[in-house]
Amino acid sequence: MKTIQIFDPALCCPTGVCGTEVDQALVTAAADLDWAKGQGARIERYSLAQQPLAFAKNAVVKGFLERSGQEALPLVLVDGEVALAGRYPNRAELARWAGLAVVPAVENSCCSGGRCC
Amino acid sequence: MKFLDTPPRFLFFTGKGGVGKTSLACATAVRFAQAGRTVLLVSTDPASNVAQVFGQAIGNALTAIAEVPNLTALEIDPEAAAQAYRDRIVGPVRGVLPDDVVRGIEEQLSGACTTEIAAFDEFTGLLTDGELMRAFDHIVFDTAPTGHTIRLLQLPSAWTGFLDNSDTGASCLGPLAGLDKQREQYRAAVAALADAERTRLVLVARAQASTLREVARTHDELAALGLTRQHLVINGVLPGDEAGNDALAAAIVRRESAALAGLPAELAGLPVDRVPLMPFNLVGLPALKALLDPGASGPQDASDVAGAHPALPGLAALVDQIAADGHGLVMLMGKGGVGKTTLAAAVAVDLARRGLPVHLTTSDPAAHLAETLEGGGLAALTVSRIDPHAETERYRAHVLETKGRDLDAQGRALLEEDLRSPCTEEIAVFQAFSRIIREAGKKFVVMDTAPTGHTLLLLDATGAYHREMARHMQKSGIHHYTTPMMQLQDPAQTKVLIVTLAETTPVLEAARLQDDLRRAGIAPWGWIINNSVAAAHTASPLLARRAAREWPQIEAVREQHARRVALLPLQAEEPVGVARLQALAAGQS
Repeated sequence: MKTIQIFDPALCCPTGVCGTEVDQALVTAAADLDWAKGQGARIERYSLAQQPLAFAKNAVVKGFLERSGQEALPLVLVDGEVALAGRYPNRAELARWAGLAVVPAVENSCCSGGRCC
Repeated sequence: MKFLDTPPRFLFFTGKGGVGKTSLACATAVRFAQAGRTVLLVSTDPASNVAQVFGQAIGNALTAIAEVPNLTALEIDPEAAAQAYRDRIVGPVRGVLPDDVVRGIEEQLSGACTTEIAAFDEFTGLLTDGELMRAFDHIVFDTAPTGHTIRLLQLPSAWTGFLDNSDTGASCLGPLAGLDKQREQYRAAVAALADAERTRLVLVARAQASTLREVARTHDELAALGLTRQHLVINGVLPGDEAGNDALAAAIVRRESAALAGLPAELAGLPVDRVPLMPFNLVGLPALKALLDPGASGPQDASDVAGAHPALPGLAALVDQIAADGHGLVMLMGKGGVGKTTLAAAVAVDLARRGLPVHLTTSDPAAHLAETLEGGGLAALTVSRIDPHAETERYRAHVLETKGRDLDAQGRALLEEDLRSPCTEEIAVFQAFSRIIREAGKKFVVMDTAPTGHTLLLLDATGAYHREMARHMQKSGIHHYTTPMMQLQDPAQTKVLIVTLAETTPVLEAARLQDDLRRAGIAPWGWIINNSVAAAHTASPLLARRAAREWPQIEAVREQHARRVALLPLQAEEPVGVARLQALAAGQS
């Protein structure tokens, strides 16, 4: 299985809920990544604020930061190669990279677990 | 004194600001040390005064107190702890990653949450450090004002619970991310706090009805955390024989004994001690010794500073100038116990009396003030209260409703979990704060702030928000915007009133606060010296000795610190209710 690595900008937490503004993209990304993980995808997530060494030690990420700056994050690597930059992957992209089955439609989710709302 | 008997290893002194926690904690530590026990005295107050009491520098490392064998002191400095944390993270990549990236990381790690966690990390370390246990018989904690302390004491449970329940790994650990090894430490700290054999909590209060009600609430909240072994110390009680020939002293004695007679039921079961009001400042060894030993003679006064003193204006003069602008934000700041809430109410009442629309908002849990004012029939006045718990709940519900709307059940569960992170409280309070100050464009908003340490954290959040917003706007090419920080920095919008007492420590602390504010680009507009005995004319010998020592402090405020100043006398009756607040503002006591 391929390894998906997400290099986040300097956030206080992956959903951004303890930041001054909650970014919808972060909330959605956290849910999508959690979903892919649940499907068995191999995902690693690094925060620039808490794990800057992971950025410094990876030549691809370090080069990207020097060229494009932190404003261009997040950066997504699949098996070490740049797959996406500047935004978070959606479920379809994650599924394709990880070789997962097709994403179920989001509408059904509210009835998941047999309890309809 | 019952609270000194068979002391356990940890003693916490807590209570609202200005009740004398530092004096009692220092005096207790001195007493134990002189009895031959090894003592560590720790201040967790971001604005610690322990150094001043002993007249020597202390700081963020164990420091022997020169004058007192067996006594070591330590001031937990949240800023220094946060800096150490930042250095640990950023140090290895400095010079490796681009400079502006490193700066960005540091900025992200300079929020209120990082500061709080770093201080808290150090605090739990003290409760669980085996080496310290071997070196010291007792650790005496002089804590920050109540709200901050309850939070500090709740955090070990909060974080332990949060860490235990979060198994997804993608949670909002904020600055705690990568500190997995701390889990054990937090759990051990919770156990130490809940162990009656090891921990005693001394609730310090004044003989004042509202203060005692607040202490009753603190008692309940801390008992709920497992801190069940509590003592109550009523500090600064005016001795009954002072009532003799002086109306003011008689009124105070009457009011204090009424407050003590009506002790809230929750407190009535606790061991209670009374410490009399001292005629001298509690600075230096002789003063500390005399505080807990009625036989000891305290420091001798230098000759009384008698003679003529300039008359200073009252509150009405300041309110006249505030009213002239027609609208704006008025913030009252200062250490706890100086009367910010009462003065905020007095300013609000005096503005409303002129028919000006006023919103008075307070973070003080003393809801009785809001009640009296609501019933006071001032149509132009609305009152609200920022309650951190309610605000946090509101924030969580709002984020779940908006940002979590389109998530599936699993995604929502993840978001909900992240929202339980203790970090969100700071954000929620900040948002409530910015919501309210936006109103100040049209009417008067009078805000009573939390004690100094917390106010500074709030300003940090405001500054961080401003920088984030400025970055965002720059990216989108928007140049006209106003952040809450810009509003606070604009003298046409915001007037900061610093409240102090005419005593050495409060004046020094207020001056430090003023420096901090200026560094944040906020120029305080005026000072209020509250509860002055010197301004009150008294024949009580004890009060007269205190009054004499106030004048040099009043002079210092007027000449060195304040651009505008008001002086308010100590009141015979507690200024509660519209009529008394109006009288206070008008300068009739």
